[in-house]
Amino acid sequence: MKRLLLWAASAYLVLTATAASAQTASVATDQILIGAFGPISGPAAFLGLAGRDGAALAFKEINALGGVNGRKIQMQFEDDAHSPVRALAAVKKLVEQDKVFMLMSVGGSNATAGTIGYVKERGTPMYVSIASAPEVTYPFARNLFRGATTEAARYGEVYAEFLASHYKAKRIVLMTSRDEYSRNEGDATVTKLKAWFSIEPESRLEFNNGDKDFTSQLIAAQRANPDVIAVFGSPPEAAIALKQARDLGLKQPIFVGSAIVDQGVIAASKGAAEGVKGFALIPMLPGSKHPDMQKWEAAWRREYPNARAGRPSIFDALAYADAYVVVEGLRRAGPQPTPESFIRGLEGLQNYRVGPVASPRSFTAKHHIGNLTLSPVEVRDGNWEPVQWSSTHPTEILKRYK
Amino acid sequence: MFEQRFVWSAIVVAALLLAGAVLGSYPAYMIGLAMVNVIAAIGLNLLVGNSGQISLCHSSFMAIGAYSAALLAAYARLPFWLAIPCGTALAAGVGALLALPARRLGGVYLALATLGFMQIVQIALEEWSSVTGGVRGLKIPKPELWPGAVLTPFAVYGVVVAGCVLAVWTAHNLMHSRLGRELNALRLSPHAAQALGISLARIKLTAFTLSAAYAGFAGGLFAQLVGFIDPNEFGISAAVRQLTFIVVGGVGSLAGAVLGAVVLSGLPELLRPVREYNDLVFALVLLAFMLFLPHGLVVLWRAALAGRLGRREAVA
Amino acid sequence: MGATFYLQLAIAGLAVGAVYALVAVAIVIPYKASGVLNFGQGELATMGAYAAFVLASFQLPYGVAFALVLLGGAVFGMVIERLLIRPIANAPAFTLVIATFAIGLAIKSAVSVRWGDTVFSVEGPFGDDPLLFAGLRANPTSLWIVFCTVAVTALLTLFFRYARTGMAMRAVALNPEAATLMGIRVHATYRWAWAISAAIGALAGLLVAPVVGVNPEVGQLILRGLVAAVLGGFTSIAGAVVGGFAVGLIETFASVAVGSTFKNLVPFIVLLLLLAFRPYGLFGTREVHRV
Repeated sequence: MKRLLLWAASAYLVLTATAASAQTASVATDQILIGAFGPISGPAAFLGLAGRDGAALAFKEINALGGVNGRKIQMQFEDDAHSPVRALAAVKKLVEQDKVFMLMSVGGSNATAGTIGYVKERGTPMYVSIASAPEVTYPFARNLFRGATTEAARYGEVYAEFLASHYKAKRIVLMTSRDEYSRNEGDATVTKLKAWFSIEPESRLEFNNGDKDFTSQLIAAQRANPDVIAVFGSPPEAAIALKQARDLGLKQPIFVGSAIVDQGVIAASKGAAEGVKGFALIPMLPGSKHPDMQKWEAAWRREYPNARAGRPSIFDALAYADAYVVVEGLRRAGPQPTPESFIRGLEGLQNYRVGPVASPRSFTAKHHIGNLTLSPVEVRDGNWEPVQWSSTHPTEILKRYK
Repeated sequence: MFEQRFVWSAIVVAALLLAGAVLGSYPAYMIGLAMVNVIAAIGLNLLVGNSGQISLCHSSFMAIGAYSAALLAAYARLPFWLAIPCGTALAAGVGALLALPARRLGGVYLALATLGFMQIVQIALEEWSSVTGGVRGLKIPKPELWPGAVLTPFAVYGVVVAGCVLAVWTAHNLMHSRLGRELNALRLSPHAAQALGISLARIKLTAFTLSAAYAGFAGGLFAQLVGFIDPNEFGISAAVRQLTFIVVGGVGSLAGAVLGAVVLSGLPELLRPVREYNDLVFALVLLAFMLFLPHGLVVLWRAALAGRLGRREAVA
Repeated sequence: MGATFYLQLAIAGLAVGAVYALVAVAIVIPYKASGVLNFGQGELATMGAYAAFVLASFQLPYGVAFALVLLGGAVFGMVIERLLIRPIANAPAFTLVIATFAIGLAIKSAVSVRWGDTVFSVEGPFGDDPLLFAGLRANPTSLWIVFCTVAVTALLTLFFRYARTGMAMRAVALNPEAATLMGIRVHATYRWAWAISAAIGALAGLLVAPVVGVNPEVGQLILRGLVAAVLGGFTSIAGAVVGGFAVGLIETFASVAVGSTFKNLVPFIVLLLLLAFRPYGLFGTREVHRV
């Protein structure tokens, strides 16, 4: 028995070493290899799985129509388990072993941030779809691009304007989760409320991801007597908070951050989400009755018939749109794409989008912030539907790229 | 005997360095991570394996070592060979401070006390964002030999290899020193050890401090290897993961700590083809280890050694 | 106004604490019976929550689902004990701990793979409209959870004091050799301990599901449950329950006093202070291994 285990152990060691150093075939002349990474295991798996599937759907459609300038797109996806350490491992593997042409990140901020130093040194073009890490776009790096997600400061600009002009709020209470994304949103909103509208929030309450009770925060918010309560956090906590807000008889309208604009929140909060407003990165969300979205969802379901509840999610749609953006950049790079020609191809994009389910992308030689659009939505009859409102205050984001 | 170990160590070091140079930066990175885990496991084994004290805050000492080495390098421009030892010392100091009250606890009570300490460190890392970068993480400056002389990635790898060998050597010497024998006595029978006049309070304090030192050292090396750290890397998952290293390897044995860390570090890479099922498969593999090798991989190792060395008793 | 505010908080604290109490009890029972600390206890609650979700889709009446979850939990506990714990009963203590952790991780991963991250919602047994009385508002499900916790505690106390199996379990916990000499089948009592513990764990998940939703992170309850168990002395059911309610109240009031950043720490700080002065917790007996 021990001998058997010993053989098993040796075989294991050999296998691991082989796995780590196996070289895949170099890029063939009739395909372009794109290396994508994101979390497909662990608590953030919803992000990477949707990102992978959305991008894969787009590439499949493109290949069915002949590919890009005669080349088919091949995607190699690696798990980063939402950790910067694993993300760096994934990127090193993709760049050095698989020899990918470019990288696409559908992962979280910290994980992506962990790869930036290495990617900048290697010069491999990297397109970041969902992560909001500031280092992707500032300081400016020629080989880094940000797609679907907009800058944290932009959220602040749009949220502040919406709170001030749509709700006409003078008294605002913020409830923020202590995670990085929510804090960014909250900080950015507070900054712009002060700078543009001279509004100081009545109070800023915090909660943790994983909290199951928000009674104390909600009572405190109620006592501050605000015109609107802004909640920045994740869907599970938001659903509980919305239910408890209803239980406590809170009368104020509730505004939510972009992570909470999610189909799951509506069902999980059992009707308490009616009337809640927020912003989405795309004009319409999966689940919407709009015919264009229905058509896209149908195509998605044909490709993934065994999908579980909550899919396709917004991240499927974002990655799908960004995959098309990447391919458009490749198309403009010509029949023999190089990293340089690909970068210039992307920089030539002006308001490009694959269709009505996507938001437009524009890049220039001076900045690589692809999306500055946020679309307001509200929960009406159990679905996220568009709100008639658009921002009129000019953005200050691009000032530092002059 | 010493010469034999010296020769073996030299061979292993040479093999690792060669592997790193030949295989490329990705395998070198993975080997480096495995070696960092080995150092952490060795430290944890000192505390848990020998004195039966369970610690759930080992990853916090790693955090202290990592963040302080990184900050000293960034702000005081300390070269890595000063920054990392400083981080190690700081971690050891905090370990000693924690040990003063904690050594009077045992079993599940100590587990919870260390859990509480880990949460405190997590919150400190998350809230003190002006210094630590908070939840958004901290980018580590490239390690320097002296101000201006940046280490190449291969040199960084070499430093990690050297650090790991140093850790294994010192741990081996420790375990065969008087302290090691006292720790062994403590593991086998606390009451008998006390009867022999061994001051258990002092030993536990020493064990805590040393284990924290190893963790801090691992943290400093980890920071320069990965270039970016955030509080999540040093939370409860990491603490439990370090415990699994020594349990899979064999609690109380240095070879066990090394084996467990190496095997479980390689496992996620091996599981890449399984994609989104890798957590489930990892859990099942872990369970299999517990069921079929409850005393750890070191059992196989000792069998192999005994087999090759004839009837001689192999104690590693 | 002041009194209403504090009472409202107290209701929230007790509701939250009731679940912690159940998890704490579920942790204490196998520990007291066989010395095994079940690190996968949180995931038993996760399973209970998902069971509630799955059973709800079959339109079963609440009582039936309730009974099924208890039964299923008990069976699962017995299976785990027989297949995974008994074979390694003589292994080092850490092996058992990591084994239970691995079981929990396997459950959580399996659940994630099957259902993903979506938070599902289930109906509470009495609907969701809050009850209003004396200026206070309470979710009926929260009150039901508190009721169930008290009922379970009472039943367990009676069980351990008067039922043969219960008394046998106490005997085994005190001295397994003597118990065997008395004719008690020790392994059977271990199975019972795990069955009861798993059933209560699953129940905690079922009860809490309408309030917090069904997702893989339900298992985080174990951290609070552990603190509650230690607070209560770790070897007594009553202590675990009191510990659970205490942690719930401390957490809720701490959230107001120090904000959510530190509110998770306050139970630990209370615990550490308690351990410094009363190392056996509030109700515990001499098990601390102070040397």
